[in-house]
Amino acid sequence: MTPASRERLGTKLGKLDRPGTVVWLLLAPTLLYLAAFAIFPLFYSLRLSFTDLTAAAGTGDWVGLRNYGDLLRDPHFWNATKNSAVMVGASLAIQVVLGVALAMFFNLHLRGAWLVRGILVLPMLITPIVVGVMWRALLNPDWGLINWCIAAVGLEPPNWFGSIEMAMPTLILVESWQWTPFVFIIVYARLQALPQEVFEAAIVDGAKPLATFRFVTLPLLMPAIIFAAVFRAVDSFRSFDLIFGLSYGGPARSTTTLSFFSFQNGFQWQNYGYAAAVSYMMLLILAVGTIVLLRFVQIRPGYAK
Amino acid sequence: MKRRIGRAFAYLVLIMLGLAGIAPIVYLAVLSTKKRIEILAQVPPTLDFKWSRIEKNYDEVLFSQGMLEFTVNSIVVVGATTVLVLVIATPAAYAFSRFRFRGNENLAFTILSMRFMPPVAIAIPLFLMMQWVGTHDSYLGLILPYIAFSLPLVVWIMIGFFDEIPQEIDDAAIMDGCTRFEVLWRVMLPMVRPGLVTASLFGAIFIWNEFLVALYVIDSREFQTIALGAATLVSAQRPIDWNIAAAVGVVTVVPILIFSIFVQRYIVRGLTAGAVK
Repeated sequence: MTPASRERLGTKLGKLDRPGTVVWLLLAPTLLYLAAFAIFPLFYSLRLSFTDLTAAAGTGDWVGLRNYGDLLRDPHFWNATKNSAVMVGASLAIQVVLGVALAMFFNLHLRGAWLVRGILVLPMLITPIVVGVMWRALLNPDWGLINWCIAAVGLEPPNWFGSIEMAMPTLILVESWQWTPFVFIIVYARLQALPQEVFEAAIVDGAKPLATFRFVTLPLLMPAIIFAAVFRAVDSFRSFDLIFGLSYGGPARSTTTLSFFSFQNGFQWQNYGYAAAVSYMMLLILAVGTIVLLRFVQIRPGYAK
Repeated sequence: MKRRIGRAFAYLVLIMLGLAGIAPIVYLAVLSTKKRIEILAQVPPTLDFKWSRIEKNYDEVLFSQGMLEFTVNSIVVVGATTVLVLVIATPAAYAFSRFRFRGNENLAFTILSMRFMPPVAIAIPLFLMMQWVGTHDSYLGLILPYIAFSLPLVVWIMIGFFDEIPQEIDDAAIMDGCTRFEVLWRVMLPMVRPGLVTASLFGAIFIWNEFLVALYVIDSREFQTIALGAATLVSAQRPIDWNIAAAVGVVTVVPILIFSIFVQRYIVRGLTAGAVK
């Protein structure tokens, strides 16, 4: 590029360099892309949910609200809704409590703790399908390592994925193995960023450790806890690949969540219209959840400081 | 004395935590070195490894089952998607970080909320769209949807990194005669390099693990990604050969684990991106 042409380009860009134009030029690629490949598919999905489109019958006739009507009368849909609620609720409770406990534990700054922290990050990075396979091996009733350990200490191992009652708790256990570290890392980051004087002051004032945690530490950690909880709640609600690898929704649909139910309708039974309707029910639940949540917390991009 | 016991107990807990994190992964790796019959017969599995057996299992997985080919496909898709996402998302993140304009907060929030979209809600329409434009069953059929999936996350992470660079640097560069685009390209980009690494890391892991869209879009073996390959080989739907399944798992996660060792220090930053200040 010659200096002259460079200068010309410069002035051209200079003209654009007013906040108004510049902002939209910078934003345009992202906004246009998301409009085409996220917003449009979302509306298209809504349209699909009013049709009877299947992979076999390509046309997809308009059937109005029939899919939604069928859905509300479908016991499998209510079963999946219940399973989703149980999975999200229980995972959230377990992971938040354990995650905060881990953060406090690592705050002791034991020697070698950095290594264990590094190890605990790994489960989050592993492909959910593989996590599923890994745990199916660990919990195998005939030769799995965990059953062997339980039997070795003289206890009767539970029938993990073999029974309808145990399958959901087992799924929650595996989900928590993978994602408790997420809560831990976020809460721990916040804990490290808190000014130490606050705790010293509490100790000087004669506060007992438990009281310090309850009335000083916990309130200061709350923003990070809420942030982590929101992410975990939505992500376990969305998750279907872990279930795909772990239990395929079974036995007897006891681990079929809404996300997996929608996947099954769409992919396995190729009932696109019905699958779209299920996913719209999910979006409805997410939207209501978000509105309720935004009354209590404010989320903004940035970092745990 | 009491303190010492407390200390010892704390270290015991620490070791247990480390084991809980790593043992399942090691167990999978050990299973991948066994004969089928050995998995059923040796409980717990012994740690005597036979190289010929390891070679046989991995040869089967990498070549006969095609996991090597799938790995190459994944690398192509992940690489292309990550570069394109950064090109699209970085200017937007810069704009959100630097300019006060009407609707800034709402627009940013809308983009970020897309991070929470259930993949099952848009997989079918994306698949049908890829069919219309004729890009299904090709690399592009994966890259186009994956850009949309990782954009919100990458914008989000990048906003955080731009926010950490003081505005005075922009102002100084503009005083020196830079345009906004030059500021972004020449001044900001070198400074947000950790952000670019963090954002690519999380975009890349997400795409590496994704298989729902791939399940719809890809028909031929030629374009299967690694997660799709693994999902097909080890689906919980049917009985499987455990030594082979374990080797498939190892082949799928080893590249991520190696990659993550090199970018260790960015992982925590990426995970905490977006946490409330």
